[in-house]
Amino acid sequence: MSDTPPFTSATENRQWSDLHDQIQDWLAGYADGELDEHHTTLVEAHLAGCEACRHDVERQRMLSERLQEIPAPRLSPAFAKRLDDTLVSAQASNKRPIGHRPLTGLKHWLARLSPSAVIGGGGWAVAMVLAAMLLVPNLAPDRSNQIAVANHIPMVSDVLADYQRAVGNDLPTPSRDADLSPPMPWPNGRVLARWTTSVGGEPAEAYAVRLGNSLIVQYQISERVFFRNPDVRQAVARAGDFRTRDNELEVIGVPMQASGLLVVAPSGNLPPIDKSAMSAS
Amino acid sequence: MVNKSTDSKRVLKMRSTGSRQQFDTLVRPWRYRLYGVAQRQSASPEIAEDWTQETLLRAWRDFGQLDDHVAIYAWLLRILNRVVADGYRRDNRRQQLAPVLTTEDAALNEHPCAAPGPFEQALKHQTDAQLTAAVHDLPDSFRQVVLLRDFEDLSYQDIAQILDLAPGTVMSRLSRGRRLLAERLIKVASDNPAASNNTHTRVNPHE
Repeated sequence: MSDTPPFTSATENRQWSDLHDQIQDWLAGYADGELDEHHTTLVEAHLAGCEACRHDVERQRMLSERLQEIPAPRLSPAFAKRLDDTLVSAQASNKRPIGHRPLTGLKHWLARLSPSAVIGGGGWAVAMVLAAMLLVPNLAPDRSNQIAVANHIPMVSDVLADYQRAVGNDLPTPSRDADLSPPMPWPNGRVLARWTTSVGGEPAEAYAVRLGNSLIVQYQISERVFFRNPDVRQAVARAGDFRTRDNELEVIGVPMQASGLLVVAPSGNLPPIDKSAMSAS
Repeated sequence: MVNKSTDSKRVLKMRSTGSRQQFDTLVRPWRYRLYGVAQRQSASPEIAEDWTQETLLRAWRDFGQLDDHVAIYAWLLRILNRVVADGYRRDNRRQQLAPVLTTEDAALNEHPCAAPGPFEQALKHQTDAQLTAAVHDLPDSFRQVVLLRDFEDLSYQDIAQILDLAPGTVMSRLSRGRRLLAERLIKVASDNPAASNNTHTRVNPHE
């Protein structure tokens, strides 16, 4: 069906055939106007002598035009509503902007914490927090592992939101046979509760530890979630861990053997991190 | 080889600190078209619904990590593509071999309706449902590019980014995919000439 190639020698025939084979893969680009000028010229020169390729270009154009006429399938109203509901639910549970929620629960938690220490109510509690902040070792910011703005990291906003929920409500009562050993043990720390939550869209184990007058929560999360953010990866590569803070809360992230650990504490109350004491994950 | 122009209309500027409001503004309007692409690749509307929902949930999960400039629809299609691939893996669906037809193929040259005029007539007499089914039956690698180009009207550059391919590969797959589709439609028309001559109004299966 093709026109006779305008060549006579065997070499020229082979060259024409090679070009013909190669141009087969460019015909969609030519039909769609996506080829650059140089290749367009090559294809047009070939089409002038090849009826099979001319027909192919015509068929490609017609097919494309016909397919574009087909209307898109419709989303059923029932599914559209279900989709919207699912998204609203995911948005409500999975991510809350940091800094927009006051830390209202902390005062209540401190009031519950140790009745003998709470003389005169919340004022003393606040004073104790301030005193604790002065007594703990100075956590001078190490710029190499600091992430200045952390609210773009979903796992960080998730653990901050979960921490605020925890201190704003009664902590779950641990069952008798529950293993309450936190991934990072502290000599003076007392584990108050353990629960499962969601961090970065995956299950995570939370351990609430009372250390002095501070409630500190350790979140053991999946390795995949831990290393998802490039800022985290860079900070961990530089310094072995990362630190960031919101207005009243501080977060440190430490990679573990096959998981990650996020520790949330009131700002200035993060204890020293002894990685050698961490339990294997 | 391929023009590098991108459709600036589809490139939206957004801040990396995604919020619920930004997500709703930028992403939610695309859910209808996303469902369309999912439905044309799935075996059933229920599977397409699952894929669409999973795509939007993953989009919400990763929304805060987007670059400053991002073509939202292309980004969503990229996620959908991974969701579909995961679905195929779970179903143990094997990729079909993608046969390569040349323009010398007998069916493209010998059947009476292969010439441009008769082919156009045959196309007109195929219903939307028949054409959609024929696209659905293409091997995966061909179906993807045909869907994104001929149904979604995306540039080769965008398709290349969505499917992680070189633009030249998009073009070759599109050339081969459309050629295979044309050959199959020609065979159907040749096997059933009555269908080519029938003049009934096309039925829209989605209405």
